[in-house]
Amino acid sequence: MTPEETPALSNVTYDELDEGQVLGTVTEPVSAEMAGSLIGEIGAPGEAQVAPPAVFPVLFLKALRRTLGGIPNGGVLAKYELRFGEPLPADGSEATIEVSIAEKYVRRERPYVVVQFAIDDADGKRVLTGLKTIMWPTGPGQE
Amino acid sequence: MPSKDFPSASEHVTQETINRYADISGDYNPIHVDEEAAAASEFGGTIAHGPIALQTFFRSLTEWLESPAPPAGTVINITFRAPTRPGDTIHCELRDQTGDEITTECLNQDGTTVITAKSTIPS
Repeated sequence: MTPEETPALSNVTYDELDEGQVLGTVTEPVSAEMAGSLIGEIGAPGEAQVAPPAVFPVLFLKALRRTLGGIPNGGVLAKYELRFGEPLPADGSEATIEVSIAEKYVRRERPYVVVQFAIDDADGKRVLTGLKTIMWPTGPGQE
Repeated sequence: MPSKDFPSASEHVTQETINRYADISGDYNPIHVDEEAAAASEFGGTIAHGPIALQTFFRSLTEWLESPAPPAGTVINITFRAPTRPGDTIHCELRDQTGDEITTECLNQDGTTVITAKSTIPS
């Protein structure tokens, strides 16, 4: 399935995800145009030779959509942890993103899923390890 | 760590900003782009993708560091505390700087903190 063919939204439930589960590994191009549109005001054209930090949340979303069959419908972003490595070139080369479930828990009656993204550049150098905590639209036992 | 003042980038968020971010990221969650569906949600209307408000922090940080990307070894912990809505203007302020660690907050025009970020930046 190509990135364009991936459904926009997913209804994967909390119970269908397991800690340690690898959802998949995908590649995404990081173009100068995409990186440039995230260096200043959102969507304004800019020039970038390396990926500004705002590129990584976009890669998270693209990788999550492809490995989960869509963005969780009704999910709300709660936290990020970003551990930066080598700079990521914005030259159209492919970044490799492994997506896995780091943790899931319920706090104050709200279900949360922590998704880990391990991102390498085209040469295999680690450019970022990210954790994204999402308030999941369904909780334990819910469809 | 730079000795100069932490800059305060700001961003005025509109539904158009949100729609642009949906196109860039592929995140078309109704809570962001479907005004009718979002009106029926607990938020009562569309809210911006979290990274839109975060953009003011990233822009301030990279300007402060005079580098397009944080150095290797940088760790940033970000908590989203309140939604950003169309019409909001977000800016970022430095709250504390101790050793290699800085604490920053992004606020809307009403002074509500929408994001806090703790960053450890290696010297």
